[in-house]
Amino acid sequence: MDLNYGLRGTYYVFWREMKRFSSQRLRIMMSVVQPVVWLVLMGNMMTRLTDNPFTAEMLGVDNYLAFMVPGVMIMTSLFSGVYGGISIIWDRRLGFLIKLLSAPIPRYSIALGKMSALVIQTMIQVSIIALLGSIMGVLFITGPGGIIVALLFCGLFSAIMSSISLFLSASVKTPETLFAIINFLTMPLVFTSNALFPTGAMPSWIQLISRFNPITYAVAPVRALVTGGWEFDVIVSGAAILLLMLLFLQGVVYYRFEKGSLL
Amino acid sequence: MNLGYVSQDLAIDDELTGLDNLWLQAGLYHMDRSIRKKRIDEVLELVGLRERAADRVDTYSGGMRKRLDIACGLIHRPGILFLDEPTLGLDIQTRHEIWHYVNRLREEVKMTILLTTHYMDEADTLCRRAAIIDRGELKAIDTPARLKQNIGGGVVVFKFTDDADPHLVEKALEVLREKEFVKEISSNSDDYILLTNDNEEALPKFFAVLERFPLRLQKVTLKMPSLDDVFLYHTGEQLREGSVSKEQIARSRTSMHRLRGQR
Repeated sequence: MDLNYGLRGTYYVFWREMKRFSSQRLRIMMSVVQPVVWLVLMGNMMTRLTDNPFTAEMLGVDNYLAFMVPGVMIMTSLFSGVYGGISIIWDRRLGFLIKLLSAPIPRYSIALGKMSALVIQTMIQVSIIALLGSIMGVLFITGPGGIIVALLFCGLFSAIMSSISLFLSASVKTPETLFAIINFLTMPLVFTSNALFPTGAMPSWIQLISRFNPITYAVAPVRALVTGGWEFDVIVSGAAILLLMLLFLQGVVYYRFEKGSLL
Repeated sequence: MNLGYVSQDLAIDDELTGLDNLWLQAGLYHMDRSIRKKRIDEVLELVGLRERAADRVDTYSGGMRKRLDIACGLIHRPGILFLDEPTLGLDIQTRHEIWHYVNRLREEVKMTILLTTHYMDEADTLCRRAAIIDRGELKAIDTPARLKQNIGGGVVVFKFTDDADPHLVEKALEVLREKEFVKEISSNSDDYILLTNDNEEALPKFFAVLERFPLRLQKVTLKMPSLDDVFLYHTGEQLREGSVSKEQIARSRTSMHRLRGQR
């Protein structure tokens, strides 16, 4: 099957997901409401934290909200990506997966189309969070250019997470099992990362773990763009590590979708 | 050869409109944009869904969903259409509705339709040629009429009036027994049971013989073998125990709900 078939297949899988997304207003609203609750609750709960000069130094900013906005942006990308693969499970159950499998498109384009849709959806959600953050007074120090780069990082990170999710959903048959696996994976991931708390405040063994945590490499560049400035070493190394990770995971997903059974 | 396939489960997206479903199908089958609109109009007309095309599928009745499903299978004008148990689990009215459209396809589009079903009356009314397959093995294939003939003909049950002359009755039976279309006549109290090897013309021939005798019939019935009998004849009567996966059961249950017009 030639490339053209693959691209068109990917486009129509993507098209369908976006159509569904735009018809689910409640889902879009809730996906933004949750991070806002995080920001408002956690952000305000911790404001006194920065009264202490030591913690302010560890956070790197004198405003905990500014520390948290990048964390929440990446967390949102994580969750919208990592739960995204569930659409495979629903499609399988509704019989729609059979239609996609029997259509003259490469199977991998099913995964790629769904992933692209998740990336775009994530970027929409995250830009709303960035907007709300700026209303609450957290402005990107790097300006509009920084916002765009931060959105790309969020998209990239959600691509990584949706790859994992799509890979799992190719084998897992019920949503409950998928949720159980995802919760098992994400909780430790979030709490050993720099998303909500500075790694400087963690014991050294967790610091070690956080160095191998993909969240760290997504949060650090976005945080730099919000509060630090154009720190190219952080941005480039973060992007390189995340891209390599995505490439590897897509290889795994490709193999799983093209060679294994999806039903 | 160009194939169309409509699976047993409803392979349509309930969250999209009928039109979107068809547009998606056309895209997945790489149809040119220029002919897509025309083709969609054609199939909508064919399955009688033009008025409701812009509505979301979750507002459709079960029969309409199945018709949309069939329309999706038709959009790329396949030479052969595979319909996998199209009326499974439907109520009588909806089954007749689907039959009507299947017949219309055969007559108006002159399309070869390969239909699988467990309902023998469905095979009898819809099919020109029917095959009986048991555990993957082809047991018989022919027109439904000939299939029925081949397992032996119909049964004529008749009874003379009480004032009939027993002598004349004996004579009439004797003449009947010698006729070519009669296999055997037995009696069951006052009823006579005539086994024939000629289905369609047995009754006229039977009356032609009796006309010559001054006898009056109190009742006469003709029971033709049904395809059910043919099926049982070829496959035996013992119960089948197949194994299905949990996921298959969940899927067919979901499909059944949607076919009954629920969400």
